[in-house]
Amino acid sequence: MEVNGQLALTVLMGILLVAVAAWIARVENWRSYSPIAGGGGYGQQDSYVSEEKPSGIIRWLTTVDHKDIGILYGAYGLTAFTVGGLMVVLMRVELFDPGMSLISNTFYNSLLTSHGITMLFLFGTPILAAFSNYLVPLLIGADDMAFPRINAIAFWLLPPAALLIWAGFFPLPDVLPAQTAWTMYTPLSAGVGAGNQANAGVDLMLLGLHLSGVSATMGAINFIATIFTERGDEVSWANLDIFSWTILTQSGLILFAFPLLGSALVMLLFDRNFGTTFFSGEGGAILWQHLFWFFGHPEVYILVLPPMGIVSYVIPRFSGRRLFGFKFVVYSTLAIGVLSFGVWAHHMFATGIDPRLRASFMAVSLAIAIPSAVKTFNWITTMWNGRIRLTTPMLFSVGFVANFIIGGVTGVFLASIPVDLVLHDTYYVVGHFHYVIMGAIGFAVFSGLYYWFPLYTDRMYQKTLAKAHFWLTMVGTNLTFFAMILLGYGGMPRRYATYLPQFATMHQLATVGALLLLAGQVIFVWNFVQSWLEGPKVEDGDPWNLRESGLYTAEWDWYDKKQQTAIADGGEESDETALTDGGQPEGDADDRDDA
Amino acid sequence: MANKIFDRDTLLDLTVNMVPLFIMAFFIVAFAVVTPFGVDPLASSLQFGLVAVPFVLLAILTYFAGRAVAGSEMTGELYLPGQAGVEGAKPLGEDGELMNQFDEDEEPEAAVEGEADTDDAASEDEA
Repeated sequence: MEVNGQLALTVLMGILLVAVAAWIARVENWRSYSPIAGGGGYGQQDSYVSEEKPSGIIRWLTTVDHKDIGILYGAYGLTAFTVGGLMVVLMRVELFDPGMSLISNTFYNSLLTSHGITMLFLFGTPILAAFSNYLVPLLIGADDMAFPRINAIAFWLLPPAALLIWAGFFPLPDVLPAQTAWTMYTPLSAGVGAGNQANAGVDLMLLGLHLSGVSATMGAINFIATIFTERGDEVSWANLDIFSWTILTQSGLILFAFPLLGSALVMLLFDRNFGTTFFSGEGGAILWQHLFWFFGHPEVYILVLPPMGIVSYVIPRFSGRRLFGFKFVVYSTLAIGVLSFGVWAHHMFATGIDPRLRASFMAVSLAIAIPSAVKTFNWITTMWNGRIRLTTPMLFSVGFVANFIIGGVTGVFLASIPVDLVLHDTYYVVGHFHYVIMGAIGFAVFSGLYYWFPLYTDRMYQKTLAKAHFWLTMVGTNLTFFAMILLGYGGMPRRYATYLPQFATMHQLATVGALLLLAGQVIFVWNFVQSWLEGPKVEDGDPWNLRESGLYTAEWDWYDKKQQTAIADGGEESDETALTDGGQPEGDADDRDDA
Repeated sequence: MANKIFDRDTLLDLTVNMVPLFIMAFFIVAFAVVTPFGVDPLASSLQFGLVAVPFVLLAILTYFAGRAVAGSEMTGELYLPGQAGVEGAKPLGEDGELMNQFDEDEEPEAAVEGEADTDDAASEDEA
């Protein structure tokens, strides 16, 4: 009888839910919601944006259009960037003083773990997918991605992944946040010992991470198929643009790296929940490190190659000349792709592995520095004696090069075994990789967001605010992370929620830098949102005046056609003409000849 | 390598990957000559394998990438990267790398803009 009672209750609840859904559908026309003003650009306010695309929320929930999915990835990535950024602000405030007790040590560990995973997996990979989804089909002359529905599924796996990864922070009974650091080293992450890392929060985090890996792999397969099979007739391998080359290489890396992470995570979950002993027996801890870093080091290049593509794309546009040594950049990108799988144990020099093996990993690590250095020289040479226009995207690209040099050179030192043994597990390492991840990857992302802003919003950002964003970010990045490099030289170990008093000054400088970064990002969000909603309309398909230097490219050509074929909606025509942020007179928009 | 695809220009482009190949080859030889930690069948073969496998894979990838890019240069029209899909874009000449010499005195918006360094530098500078 109990069963029947439960059944009745379930049926009743089901009827209630259906009724609620029906009522909501009656009182609200979900198709009339337009969360992104002007995003459609076709001027229809009612139920359809175009023949096969409904408008409003339904559009965003059901879309398989690569551009819409790109925007979804972008919104997702920036949301994750906000979460991860606020987490680290809290940590830096805690570190302002060694005696500070704003947050507990365990909560600090939780934030540390989640900051890393959020920035790498929920911001880094998705925000790059935003660019690639939106741009690659346009650049290669494809109608859409090869598998549009898989593209949509790949995105929609990400929101649940984020919820799982952050689950420990939600007020759920007995679910605590993971405190394993993003590397999830065993035996701590296997739940062994007296700590609380056997709790379900860690399992949920691992599952979320796995889900994000599945998403990235689906996306990668799609990009490989798209670039190989969907290129326009005239887009041969020799004509493929540099951004698509980096996305192709990145997708190859994802294809080989993420399945390994997935396997290792499943093994770890089995150790935690089903009594297996993959990582708890003798050598288990080293096994985890090998598996993790075989994924983890390519992950670094998964994150940095597309930003290199963005910078290689943007710098020539504002230098008035083509990229110097284009094919050098292409071949060195491919070289990085291969070599990135041969350097993983340079993260493990201090573990006591066989010195002969260490020597081999050092050799390949030194070799992989060459392709990155080649690119750096190419960027500098492209700008050398060029007609430089210091627009915001260009500033961020130049900032990328500057920061990448510091991040790269500090990395070359770490590739050397004796230096690494001294600096391992200190703030030097933290400073090094943040120079690359924030100073380079973050900067390239901003560069791309500003460069293509007119393309995806039809509007222009506010250039004064954008430049304030750049300078605060540049100063903040260098203040924060250079202080960390010096802290590392002084012997300050990573990951601690407190420190000895002699490190106070440098930690305080780093915290001030982080607060500058926060201020810069607040300006960015303000500028981004306000300009998207109210910025001056771009009416020209060439907002950067690229035609006059012959550097006009396919995505702007697509945009130009879209502008010309857009149905006038009669409402928004009167906005002022867009600012170009390039110091070019507005007249350029009209007097171009369509070469 | 005396075939048409791997001509002098292509080989020059591929030198960028020769450098890391050379570094790895150097270490393979160095590990064979200097053995401060002794020779052990397992550890030493892993030691060589860890450098040799990336070496071989990089060499193979470089060969195929060079063949794909240089091959398509010969069979199709060549545009500036990113411009192939632009309506009305003008293709580069038969030898894209040398085009600047032919086109400097032609229309300024031709697809070879970037090579006109001296002109660019002379014109007005920054924003």
